This record gives sequence, structure tokens and C-alpha cells, in this order.
Amino acid sequence: MTVDAPAPAARGGGARAFARARHAEQISARLPPLLVAAERVAATVAQGVHGRRRVGQGDSFWQFRPFLPGDAIQRIDWRQSAKSDRTYVRETEWEAAQSVWIWRDASASMRWRSTDRLPEKVDRAEILALALASLLLRGGERVALLGHGMRPVSGRPMIEMLAEAVGRRGDAGAVAGLPAAEPLPRHGRVVLIGDFLSPLPDVQEAVARLATIPVTGHILQVLDPAEEALPFRGRIRFEGLEREGAALIGKVEGMRGDYQARLAAQREGLKAIAAAAGWSFGTHRTDASPESALLALYLALAPDRAGRAV
Amino acid sequence: MDGLIGSLPAIGFANPWLLAALVALPVLVWLLRVTPPAPKLLAFPAVRLLLDIPRRDETAARTPWWLLLLRILAAALVIIGLARPVLNAGGAGGGAGPLLIVVDDGWAAGQAWAQRVAALDTALDRADRAGRPVMLLATAPGDRGEPPRVTAAMPAQEMRERVAALRPRPWAPDRATARRAVEQLGRGAAGLSVLWVADGLSHGNGEDAEALGAALAALGPLTVLTPPPGALPVVLGTPASEPGRIVARVASLPAPAEQEIAVLARTADGRTLARATATLAPGATSLEIPVALPPELRNRLATLVVEGSANAAAVSLLDERWRRRPVGLIAGNAETADQPLLGELYYLDRALSPFTELRRGTVRELLARDIAVIVLSDVDTLTEAERGLLAAWVDAGGVLVRFAGPRLAARPDTLLPVTLRTGDRQLGGALSWQQPAALAPFPETSPFFGLTVPAEVRVTRQVLAEPSVALAQRTWARLADGTPLVTGEQRGRGALVLFHITANTEWSSLPLSGLFLQMLQRIVQLSTGVGAAAGDAVLAPYETLDGFGRLTPPPPFAAGLPAAQLAREAPSPRHPPGFYGPEAARVALNLGPSVGALRPLGAMPAGAELRTLDAEAAERDLRPLLLGLAVLLVLADLMISLWLRGLVRPVPAAARAGAAAAALMLLPSLALAQAQPMAMANETRLAYVVTGTGSVDDISRAGLVGLTDFVNRRSAANLADPVGVRPGQDELSFFPLLYWPMTPDQPNPDAAAVAALNDFMRQGGIIMLDTRDAGSGQGMNAGGEQQLRRLTRGLSIPALAPVPPDHVLARAFYLLTDFPGRYVGGQVWVQRDQDRANDSVSPVIIGGHDWAAAWAVDAQGRNPYATVPGGARQRLLAYRFGLNLVMYALTGNYKGDQVHVPVLLERLGQ
Repeated sequence: MTVDAPAPAARGGGARAFARARHAEQISARLPPLLVAAERVAATVAQGVHGRRRVGQGDSFWQFRPFLPGDAIQRIDWRQSAKSDRTYVRETEWEAAQSVWIWRDASASMRWRSTDRLPEKVDRAEILALALASLLLRGGERVALLGHGMRPVSGRPMIEMLAEAVGRRGDAGAVAGLPAAEPLPRHGRVVLIGDFLSPLPDVQEAVARLATIPVTGHILQVLDPAEEALPFRGRIRFEGLEREGAALIGKVEGMRGDYQARLAAQREGLKAIAAAAGWSFGTHRTDASPESALLALYLALAPDRAGRAV
Repeated sequence: MDGLIGSLPAIGFANPWLLAALVALPVLVWLLRVTPPAPKLLAFPAVRLLLDIPRRDETAARTPWWLLLLRILAAALVIIGLARPVLNAGGAGGGAGPLLIVVDDGWAAGQAWAQRVAALDTALDRADRAGRPVMLLATAPGDRGEPPRVTAAMPAQEMRERVAALRPRPWAPDRATARRAVEQLGRGAAGLSVLWVADGLSHGNGEDAEALGAALAALGPLTVLTPPPGALPVVLGTPASEPGRIVARVASLPAPAEQEIAVLARTADGRTLARATATLAPGATSLEIPVALPPELRNRLATLVVEGSANAAAVSLLDERWRRRPVGLIAGNAETADQPLLGELYYLDRALSPFTELRRGTVRELLARDIAVIVLSDVDTLTEAERGLLAAWVDAGGVLVRFAGPRLAARPDTLLPVTLRTGDRQLGGALSWQQPAALAPFPETSPFFGLTVPAEVRVTRQVLAEPSVALAQRTWARLADGTPLVTGEQRGRGALVLFHITANTEWSSLPLSGLFLQMLQRIVQLSTGVGAAAGDAVLAPYETLDGFGRLTPPPPFAAGLPAAQLAREAPSPRHPPGFYGPEAARVALNLGPSVGALRPLGAMPAGAELRTLDAEAAERDLRPLLLGLAVLLVLADLMISLWLRGLVRPVPAAARAGAAAAALMLLPSLALAQAQPMAMANETRLAYVVTGTGSVDDISRAGLVGLTDFVNRRSAANLADPVGVRPGQDELSFFPLLYWPMTPDQPNPDAAAVAALNDFMRQGGIIMLDTRDAGSGQGMNAGGEQQLRRLTRGLSIPALAPVPPDHVLARAFYLLTDFPGRYVGGQVWVQRDQDRANDSVSPVIIGGHDWAAAWAVDAQGRNPYATVPGGARQRLLAYRFGLNLVMYALTGNYKGDQVHVPVLLERLGQ
């Protein structure tokens, strides 16, 4: 019933972020580093670990070629040049990295749980976001949080910076249940984690806005088991957390079937929206383990999925 | 059928018309049925989905039937409660016309007054419900002496204030006047019924009570309430003063059964000095209860009270007559009379001055003022006129005590209880075969009977009485050979006493013994006391008794009266019983003596209904009970409603268990059991072994207090107050150091104590054994070594050695070379071998310097025990050793490094 007040970032934010980062790393430790294949060589793909089988910026040796006028003198490999009379330039393989923008829903509706034994939905969403970020960073990819106006970062130590950014939830009432419009580079990847209980046209609009950039992505719907099962009985006045209004239901147990049908319809709609944009869709319940959801995300983003040009 | 109804308590309603509201209950049922209960509130994120679902027809939720029943019940209780149901309605004082309530509020009503008030309240409640007017007649004269009269008839509510203002009066009721008032009323009254709350006694000649009863019965149906037999008053008459005790005279109604009566002797501020009991035989009406009081206490005696009484006649006020016994002293040879150890009056003065007022002077000077006892020591110069004055004074109650001597032996006069032979008899001495004589036990007729005769008292010379018939009877004390030593005679109200010896040690050693003092005290108590004032001076009331026998400031209408009249006066509204006169010389006016014999209330006229007070079942108003129940039900309804709405959740089982545990923790017994070890464990403190010898334990305690104070001032250690412990009974593990003085009277420690002490030492505690016999202490506590051997048998004490000069004990805080306590010169022993298991700390320290006495401080912070040989330096060193000892106990061998400092410095130098 009550909503946990968001922790002020200034007070204990660092310690909490560190703990979260540790937790996320523990969860992601069981999976191999995730390499998101760059679908296309584009501006979004910066220097990374994906060897491009061609000359470019990178760490791996690619070839020696004779010095040509116009090359910078600093690029001459003197050790190789000393073996013969010619002057050689050392060329490296062009290595590229994919950028992934992760978004998690921090709106008031996410700050809810049906019993004390379960985590709040927003907690689970943040853990998943960080675990995914950890996996990506270990894979050498670049990660950013969507909606925080930050540039993608790389390197494993950056996970703590991300955890701190995730911890800064801001005012729940001011946060929308869907990602806001943000100028993303083209051909990026987006992972959206939230409850997606908003009306389907709104979701459609948000996804389409991203898909036209174009950006591909994945939608993960996180729900509390009580939101799926509606296990209540008797006369109850349900009140929304985001001023959607209130529903007074005389006999909740009689409504259960109708509600579950309505929820299934919402999911079908989400799936259809995702498919139309070329995105993938998954669901997660907070009483399930976060590892299972992370595995599903991993499979959705990993390059080796059949038929996907990753 | 009738019997069945009679056995049920009757219930009446004060406002029966309110019950009509019960008709409205079905409407309430209908209203509650159509109003559904408030829904539970629940926050839910997916509420949009719920809003999207098309709404089906809902049946209105109904209030559960049991909740409905609860609310109906609460409403019904409120209605019935407002109708004011009363249990035990009806009873005495029934009837239709006005009710006349007659109350005995004389002195005897103080007993069971609360029951009387309750009976009056019940009667007023009934009259109130029946709407009957009430008249009141109190039979005792008022505070201003106004005679009893019947009030006008008024509603019962207004009468309540008057009834509440009634108090028992400390004087007798005036039933004759009350009867006349009733008879006057009778002419104009009709349809009356009468309730008489009587005190159960017939005051005066008894006819008045019967006449009043008859007059009341003539008015209408009469109900008489009398107190139960146990609540009837008991009266104290004038007590009698006897040597060593004071005899209370108790009068009561003929007792139906054996009754134990206790008399309390109290001081002016109400503290009880003594309590004496006696048993009143069935049918007896009087009883004498002797209260034994030593003379010192007797001077503080102010009142005698019957225990459990609450009336003014059961209090006997004792004024100065009972306490003041001025004694006049006249010596035959005034010049040497006060010479220390030899003078004639030296011993008398020392014996009498602690508990009497002593005066000196000539016979005329002494008799000019009130005086109880005159002592003439070997006086042979009385003139005829003086003898006449003294004889008259003795007749009036004075006690004349004469001591013999060479002058009286030569010239005896007539103012003596016996005729004396001229000359004296000498026992023992160079020219006599006889031995100095001892005293024989006192005969039963003697005022000295009961005093113990010390064997060492010897009489060497005395005067002899001429044999006569009356001599044996007048002998109060005699020698072992039968010769009279003290003779006495009652004369008039006083007495004449002759000691056949001198008042100094010239003729006997009696003045040196305690017996002399006791004999003089008994003689002084024989005398009548001296009143504070006499004559025509008017004495103002100082403190008076109220109706319950409590001393209070005098009421405004109490008037003073001449001292001479005081003895004859019976207490009245103008002169209530109490103390009169100035504070220093109060005179008592008592109610008890004027009451006379007690007689029960006479026969009541036929037709009168007689009841006892306690048989009257009190009415009970059921309104508070019912309304309280209704409130509880409403609260329950509120909780249930909140629960239905989900605002209150049932308390989980774990929390309930926690609450139960918390409640258990609050139980006082457990808390007490926990507190002791908790307090001990929270702070570090020193401890001493309780030896059972009070003085030694006091020294131990004072010593450790002084040491604790010193340690707290001089070091960073912060010790709490020391405690005494009993090994084997108390937990020792909280204490770093145990101080154990050796005393000859200590029992050997039992198995539990030995085990506890061994455990204590093994776990790092230090026991300091103090034989207190080093140096000069040998004389104070001889045999310390044997005690040490005896008391430490069974303790696992390691091999010991004298403290080496570089021992940690000598370096722990101060650098010391020897360890003085109260004494010096002894050897201090510690463990010989270094035991790594215990950080090389010696578990025992044995010495005999009586350190506790050196450390001891008293409440003023002074050191009560001198050091031997003495000096501030020795005391300071003793404290320093104590601080070293505490540091040694607290820090172990930490300061042991100090020992190695020279070596370390040397190494550094290289």
C-alpha cells in the first residue's frame, strides 16, 4: 500500500549504489560476457572489440604497409623498418563496439509490491538493468542509461557510476511510465524494462518514436504476481498509484477471470507492437529469480540467435 | 413462586419511560442493513486494466449479521442504562409520605461512620426515586451548642448536602431535646415514616432513648438501624500511673464473646511507643490493660488510644501531670553536697537529672512551687513549721524521700516512716566480726519488686528501726540478714520513704550500682504529677478531638475555661475534649471519664423494625456498568470495522509472543532477580568478604569506600561503590579484587564457598587476605595466623614468597618500598613462581597490616581509625599501596615492564 520514498541521492547514495553494483555483478557473473554484434558499421559503433576484418582503429595487429607520403611520422613502426631499407607503417584491425541504451521504468506504479516478501518491481527492474549493463561492459560494449542524458560509457569500473545513476530515481510522480523522446544515434540498441501497463497507443507511440530513428530493442515487462493473479477477495476499492482513478469492486473474486483476460490482451498488444518495430518482447515476475530474466535478455541480445543478423 | 421472586435481587428503574426508546431498535436494524460496510482500501498499479473491464451488476454488500447484533446490543444497553436501573431497590424506609431521618451523631457514632453514611445515602436514593420529601434530625447538639431540631421537609437531592455535612461530634447526644422536637413535629405531621440511624448506646440514664423511640414510633412506621455488635464503641477511662507502667482502663458494652482489645501508647506526633493487649471475657464490661513503659519513653507519652477505634471517648489524652515530676534536693551539709564522688547529692543528681527536673532550695522555697518529690539527704535541721508544711504536702500527694547519715542517726525526728534507734550499726570493719551485708531480693509488697539485685552491692553502715508491728509491712528493701534497708509508708495521697543509708558511698556501695537509679525512678513514678496550672486562670483550647478521636485545631466556637473547673467539666460543644492551655503546660479534658458505664440501646416500642447497619444491602446503580459495557461494545465495533476495511491487521504470532515476553519482563520478581547481577556487571567495583562480624564488615566497607574514592581521584580508573559478598552465594566474577579480613568468629567456608573462591582465583581474580595482626595489631586481633590457616583450608593457594622489591605490586602506579596499612612492620606475601597462565598475577596477597582500617573514611570524610605508629605519611603510603593494588588487579603485569626499564635503558645506551 505504502510506497517507499525514493532515497535521496545525496544521503548514502554512494554506498547503496555500490551494494547494488555488487549484487548486479553477482547475478551476471554466471553468464559469459555479452557481445552485442554491431549490426551495421555506423556512427553509433565506436571503437570496440568487434574485429571488422579491415584496417581501422583498434589494438590488434592487422598488417604492415609501406610508408606513404601523408602518413604521420609517428605511425612509422621503427622496429619493422629497421629490418629492411623500406619504411613501414603498422596498421591495426578496426575494432568496433556497440552502444546499448538501457531504460527502466521508475514511475510510481513500479514502486509497489503485494507482500513484504517480494521486492518492489522497480528494485527488480534496476537490478536487471545493472546486471545487463555489467554483462555488456565486461563484453567491451558501451552502455548508457536512457533518459539520463548521458553518453555511453565503457570499461568495467563504470558499472558503479551506472549504479549510482540508477539509484537517482528522482520524483516518482514526475517520472513517466514510458521512455521520453531523446535524440539517439542511429542503429543503437535499446532495452526497455518496466511494467507497461500504460494504454497500448501510448506504448505504440513511444516505441515507434524509437524505431524510426532507427533503433532496435527489447521490451521486458516486469510484473508482481498479484498483478497477474488478482488474488484478492471481498469488497475492495482499488486506487491507482499514478492518479489514474479508483475502481470500487464489490466482489473481487468474481472479476478475476475478466481481469486475467484483460492482462493477456495487454500483453498480446505489447508483443504486436514490438514485432511491428522489429523488436523482441519478454515478461518477468518478481517472484521468479532475476537470473532467469537476465538469461532471457542475454538470449535476446546475443549475436548467435538464429536468423538475426547480429 | 413468592420465594423465588424474593430470592432474586429487585431491579427498579429511575426513568422507566426511557425504555420506550427500545421500540426504535427495529428501525436501527433496517438502517444498518441497507448501509453496506465501508470497502477495504488497496493501492494497485494495474487499476487501469480494472477500469477497462465492463462493470456487471453488483449486489449491495450487507453488514454481517453478527456485527448487526453487536450494534443492536450496544444501542439497547445505552437505552437501558439511561433508564437508570437500580439493583436492590426497595428495602427499609418504605412508605409514601415524607421520610424523617433521625441520626445519632454523638461521640459513639464515630465508630462505623462510613456504614452510617452509606445507609443514609441508600435511604436518600430511595426517597429520591419515590419522590418523597425528607426531614432530618441530628440528635447531638451542633458545634455552637444549638439544640437538636427537625429540618423542614425538602427534596432528597437537596438533603444530600446536609447529610454529607454531618460529622460525629465529640460529645454526647441530647436525646431528651430531640424527643421534644419530635413531639412538636408530631402535632402537624401525618403519613410520616421514620428511619433512626442509632449509635447503639443509651446515653445518660437510658430513659431518654426509650422515650425518643416511643415518640418516633408515634409518628409512623419506625425503622431502627443499629451498628453490628463488633462496631460498638469502647471507652477509655482515666488511666492509673504505676511504677514502670501505666494502666489503661477500658469500658465496653457486655461483650457477646471473647474480644481482644489492644491499647496503643502514642507520642504527640502520633508515633506508637508501645502496644498492649488483653482479652475481654464474655459478659465483662471493663478491663485493665497495663502498658509497660520505661521512664524515658514515658515522658514522651501523649495519648492512649484503643486500637481500631474511631471515637473521641476511646482516646485518653495525657497532659503534663503524667510526665512532669520535679524533684527537690536538700542536703544536710550544703557546703560539701556537690563535691564530686563524695558529696551527699552528687549521686542523686547524676541519677535523677537525665529524666527529671531537679531543683535546689530550702523547704519553703521548694514548696512554693509545684513539686512531686523532695529528697532530704541526712537533714536533721527541720523546724517544727517545716515539718508541718512537709507533712501537709505529703498528705496532698507529695513523696518525701529521706536518706540517713551521721546527723540523722544522732538526732532522728518524727517525719519518718519508722521510729529510728539512736545511733547506727556498723557491719565489718576493723573491730567487727561481721561482714558487710548484701541485699535480699525485694518482697512482693515493695514498689521495687521485680528489680534485680546486683550481687556486688554491700552495706557497711546503716541506721536501725525500732521493731514494731508495722515494720515488716513498711519495709520495702532489706539486707540479706533481714534488717530493713528502705522503709516506706503511704500517707494520705503521698508517701514517706527512708533509705537507712547515706546517699553517697560512705555507708554502702548502693549509689554506685544501677539498682540505685532504678529504685529512684520507681519512687519518682510513685508520686502524682504536677499539673501545669491551677486556680482561676482561663485556659484556651489548644487542640481538640474531633468525632473520630483525632486531634485537630479547636473549632471556632470552643471556649476556654478555668483550670479548676477543667477537672469537673464534662465535654460539651463549648468545651470539646482536648488539650487546653499554653503549649508548654497543657491540661487535658478527656471524654472517656465523663461517659460512665456503657449501656446498650433500650427496648424499642412494639412495631418498630430493628435492623443492623451491615445487614442493609446497599443499592447499586447499574447505569455506569451498562453504559461502560455499551462503550466497550462500540469500541469492539470500531475495531471490527477498521479490520473489515483492512486498516488494522491482525498482530502476527511472533509479535504477540514478543509482547508477551515483554510483559513477563515487567514482572517485578523477575526484574528484581535480574537487577542485581546487571548492576554488578555494569560497573567495576571492589568487594569484600562479609565476615559476619558487624564491626569488621563496617571497617571493610568504609575502607573500600575510602580507597575507591582515592583511586577515582588519582587515577583514570572509575570504580563504583564497593559491595560485600558472600562467596558461594553471590556471583564473584564481576569483581577484580576481593578483600577478606580474618576474624576469629568466621565460620569455615563451606564447599560451595571454597569452590567459588578457587574458581575466582583461577579466572584471574585477586583475593587479599588481611590477618590484621602485623606489628601492634597483635593485640587487636590475636591468633591471625591460626585464623588464616583455618579459613583458607581448601583454597588452592600457590607457593608464597615475600614481595620482592621489584614486584609489580611495588611499581603498578607509585614506586613503593613497603606497604603500610594501619600497622607497619609485617611481611606481605605473594605467589612465588611466575605463572604464565595467569599473566604472572598473584591470585592471593596475604598480609596483616589491616589496610581497610587505614583506608576507612566515615560519612564526614574523616579517617576514623588512627594509624600506628601514626602520621599522615603512613596514611598516604597506605592509600598509595591501595592504588597500586587496584592497578595490579585491573592491569595485571602491564606495568611489569617498569621492572625492566633500567635494563632497556642500558641497552639503548649501547
